[in-house]
Amino acid sequence: MTESNPQVLNEAVLEELEASVQGDRAFIVDLIETYLADGASHMVDVVAAMTAGDASALVRPAHTLKSSSATVGAERLAAMARRLEAAGRSGVIEAGLGDEAARLDVAWDEAADALRGWIRRGEDT
Amino acid sequence: MKGGRIVLVVDDSRVNRLVLARQLSGMGVEVMEAENGREALDVLRDHTVAIDTVLLDVVMPELDGYETLAAMKADDAIRHIPVIMVSGVEELESVIRCIELGATDYLPKPINPRILAARLNASLIAKQLRDLELEHIEQQRLLTTTIERQRLELSRFLSPQIASLISSPDGELMLAGHRRLITVAFCDLRGFTTFAEQADPEELFGVLGEYHRMMGDAIVEHGGTLEHFAGDGVMIFFNDPVTQDDHVERAVRMAVAMRERFAPIAAGWRKRGYELGFGVGIAVGYATLGRIGFEGRYDYGAIGNVVILASRLSSQAGANQILLSQRAVGMVEDLVEVESIGDLEIKGLSRPVSASNVVGAANR
Repeated sequence: MTESNPQVLNEAVLEELEASVQGDRAFIVDLIETYLADGASHMVDVVAAMTAGDASALVRPAHTLKSSSATVGAERLAAMARRLEAAGRSGVIEAGLGDEAARLDVAWDEAADALRGWIRRGEDT
Repeated sequence: MKGGRIVLVVDDSRVNRLVLARQLSGMGVEVMEAENGREALDVLRDHTVAIDTVLLDVVMPELDGYETLAAMKADDAIRHIPVIMVSGVEELESVIRCIELGATDYLPKPINPRILAARLNASLIAKQLRDLELEHIEQQRLLTTTIERQRLELSRFLSPQIASLISSPDGELMLAGHRRLITVAFCDLRGFTTFAEQADPEELFGVLGEYHRMMGDAIVEHGGTLEHFAGDGVMIFFNDPVTQDDHVERAVRMAVAMRERFAPIAAGWRKRGYELGFGVGIAVGYATLGRIGFEGRYDYGAIGNVVILASRLSSQAGANQILLSQRAVGMVEDLVEVESIGDLEIKGLSRPVSASNVVGAANR
């Protein structure tokens, strides 16, 4: 869990969030579902911008993805989105971004699985 | 935190808005949401909602945080609403620019609920103080308007000198009572009682109105202080509350002007069958002046022998006579032409009083 490779899901973030809303788990579950629905559409926008090599179109969806991912503790995805946002802001999308898009897709799936897993584990207890 | 306060959350991430809204309602704050700066400005400019603090994200589509803040600061109606910037650490440069532009505070993402509560509370208190201040300014303005209106009303009911005395800083001292040399003029109409018995009320008020208007003009022109009207009787004094070195002369010139203007009015009345004559008594002497009366109804008045003497001279005056006390004659003899009418027995005074009628006044 270094700066260069943060965890897929930092559960402590979700637990703090839950505590901050007086342990209202149903709210956190709704929040994760909203994140998964909106995040999927941000992913589409990010990947489209990267494929098109459109730096300026990359900034906002990457920013929103970064910000919401950090809120729910999806730290690896948040870190990747942060790099993409910075790349978009610099105006230059590097040649290697095709690989980056593929890695991002993997990170999204991992984060989504981890979040769903967290919800399921809560339901079991 | 005080309830009933409204916070506007501006963030393009629905997830972030949900979290903030939930945490804020847990603090007893009412939450409104906007997805971008343009929506936020629409809410802020809507007169039916009063936002107390804005939590503003920096990076947003449509209108970003910096542009939204700039638009708020350029709009007099909403520039005073506190704005707390919400942003990630990598946006610190933008946050600094926002604070330079007038944002009140900054919350780093991810948001710590305790820091959120503390900063929001500080902002809401500041807003509340500011609202109180505005309310106070508004009350002050209403009070000033009321005082101005009262002053205007007072000047309608009282003579202008007394109205301005009441609103002047040394007014209280003057109202409390003081002694001063004054000239008192009493005017009334001969034949008024008979007329009042015979005339219709409409006719009576018409005649009195005409008479009072003429008298009022002459009083104001000569700077007299009107003490009271009582039917046809009018009492005016000079040299108080405004001091006048030529107070006797003013009183005499005013009486002469009244007598001249009375003639055509009386001629009109005569055609309608009313025989009314005008008489004046003028005396000079020391009197006690100030607030006279009782709680609920005070007048500014003068008390003293000079008042009684002027009143009695007025009663003794025939139609078109202006009777001066001896002392008054002594003070204006170079300016007016008088004829002595000898000694008058005056009720309430042990010795007879010598009086003179004003025949004419020298032009100034």
